[in-house]
Amino acid sequence: MAHALFLAALALLVIGATLAVIAELRRLEPLARSGAGALSAAWALQLAGLVTVAVTDGTLPMRTGPEYLLVLGWFVLSLHLLLWFRSGIRALALVLPPIAAVMVAAAHLIPTSGMQVGNGPQRGWFLFHTSVATAGMGALAVSFAMSVLFLVKEKGLKGKKPLRVLDRLPSLQTVDRIGFTALMWGFPLLTVGIVTGMVYNAELHDRIWTPGMKQTFPLLAWGMFAILLWARFSRGIRGRRSAFLSIAGFALGLLTLLGMVH
Amino acid sequence: MITLVGMNHRSAPLELRERACFPEDGLPETLARFKESIGAPEALIIATCNRVELVARSADPGGTGAKIRAFLASERGFDAETLERHVYVYEGLEAARHVFAVACGLDSMVLGEPQILGQVKKAYAIARESGATGPVLDRLLQHVLAAAKRVRTTTGISRHAVSVAYAAANLARGIFDDLHGRSALVLGAGKMTELAARHLVAQGVTDLAITNRTYARAAQLAASLGGTAIPWDEFPRALGRVDIVLTGTAAPQPVLSREQVKAALRARRGRPLFIVDIAVPRDVEPEVHDLDGVYLYDVDDLQGIVDAGLDERRRAAEEAIGMLDAEVVAFDRWRQSVDLGPTIAAMRDRLHGLGRDEIARFGRRLSTLSAEQHAAVEELTRSVIQKVLHAPIVALKSSADRGEAAARARLYREIFGLTGHEAHGAPPEADAQADTQAEAKLGPHRVIQGGKDA
Repeated sequence: MAHALFLAALALLVIGATLAVIAELRRLEPLARSGAGALSAAWALQLAGLVTVAVTDGTLPMRTGPEYLLVLGWFVLSLHLLLWFRSGIRALALVLPPIAAVMVAAAHLIPTSGMQVGNGPQRGWFLFHTSVATAGMGALAVSFAMSVLFLVKEKGLKGKKPLRVLDRLPSLQTVDRIGFTALMWGFPLLTVGIVTGMVYNAELHDRIWTPGMKQTFPLLAWGMFAILLWARFSRGIRGRRSAFLSIAGFALGLLTLLGMVH
Repeated sequence: MITLVGMNHRSAPLELRERACFPEDGLPETLARFKESIGAPEALIIATCNRVELVARSADPGGTGAKIRAFLASERGFDAETLERHVYVYEGLEAARHVFAVACGLDSMVLGEPQILGQVKKAYAIARESGATGPVLDRLLQHVLAAAKRVRTTTGISRHAVSVAYAAANLARGIFDDLHGRSALVLGAGKMTELAARHLVAQGVTDLAITNRTYARAAQLAASLGGTAIPWDEFPRALGRVDIVLTGTAAPQPVLSREQVKAALRARRGRPLFIVDIAVPRDVEPEVHDLDGVYLYDVDDLQGIVDAGLDERRRAAEEAIGMLDAEVVAFDRWRQSVDLGPTIAAMRDRLHGLGRDEIARFGRRLSTLSAEQHAAVEELTRSVIQKVLHAPIVALKSSADRGEAAARARLYREIFGLTGHEAHGAPPEADAQADTQAEAKLGPHRVIQGGKDA
């Protein structure tokens, strides 16, 4: 049942993301509404699938890499729909739905390898750790999307080539402000996620650190975001360099998945 | 039939357009005189600084154009020869199409300019409130205003910059959230710089610092723009706080170097800086554009954007023309369906009249019937006629959706032997309009008497 729901959600997500991107590039408002409708339906189906898994298994569906991706993809889609309907920044459709679609598609393609989940207090730590880390990565995905939009817009302004799509992108300051707000939510959540992950590791293995990609990449991502925030607050670094750091940090965060697969 | 007589920037020079313009204050009275003068039940005047369009719906298609020109001549003091050379006349569907094109800015001097839609809206409001319009022009203008809005939204024809000042403001909006409350530094106090600075103020820039090598001129310009004059030597310090720099001095060498801007960036703490250099030779070293967070545009860059904007508007205009064709067809179908009313009424009158005549002819033979039986025979006759008429009327109405109403109506009039007068008070224009529509199918029905297509 859950598998069918996830597949249907993926189909709608791919259709919705494609429609949303085409509508945005070609300024087709009815198509944009159709895209938003398909994405909303995908969001509901994905949620139904996750709830089904949670009810069936009695735990949050975040024990495996694919499950984590399903939840993260759904969360990114949630943030996109929230921002799309509330902020009116239509250009988000160019970045966030494709990211969500890639995450959910990857969840169906990569091999499943279960994580060792303990019982009792360990289980609680695990659920808290994965939930917080997922929320943090979702917020950082928004920051990433804004950084991409910033670089595209900035490249257009620097290149002095009037491109039609650039008119659709929000101003550099708007993109920077929303991206920074997302970072200010994402970074603390990621920090808490890493700390609770260490606590969980200590409970499970009697040590806070186990060498491996799953443990290393989040720390590297955290370090990247820490540098970004330090540069922004102490040196006033913004714009292109800030966008590159944000993109690099999110990419490192995503590499954590490699550790969850292998 | 709708007839339009107009004068625009293509057909007439400015001095004639100025003379032809009807002041808005007296427009209701002018409309009343216009209607009376040409004997039209509906009229509309669109008068802007660049055009005048006199639109009328009348029952006398042949002479309406001439009457409107005579009215224009008497009202604005033109001689016949001048009008012959400088006005255009559109009739029927072409008149409707022209009103659509005007409202969308497709007939404007600056292609796609947005002000014309408001001016058409205002002209229609005045005409409607003064009782000058009726069902046909009301429908046309409601259709036109809705279509023009849709065309602008869909094609984005008004979005692209067509002036250097507009292009600069558009770029600034691409960098900052909003220009309201932004600060700007103006280097130079020449005429071009003043014009560009005024445009920035009009766009919402409030904090304006103006500097010039001659301080008195900076002070003078600052006073007229509501800004602050600062000594020339102090402008590098202002670079650290303003959002926009507008520069247009007559200096032979750059007055703003890369090093000066780079030094200012430290104080800016990452805030972007937009520099508009309208000076020739340039005031700002081109390398400034390479600095992170600094966006420098000179006159050539801005002109490139203007040229691209014009290209975009032309492309959007082609799309808009396609949309307008569909709108004109939709309006025409509505008009055709309205025109069918007299024909349908005449058909009903004709057949019910025949029924009554036949009952009267059989009066002696039916005299033995009781009143109740007589009423039943009359009802039976009416019912049979209604049933006979039902299918042809449905077919006639549906022909309007295919744009064939005029031809069908003519055929029905022939089949049912309906003459013009018998067509239940159908105005003579119905026949003339049918002819016009038939001609319209053969090709554009446009009477050009003036410079527009000469």
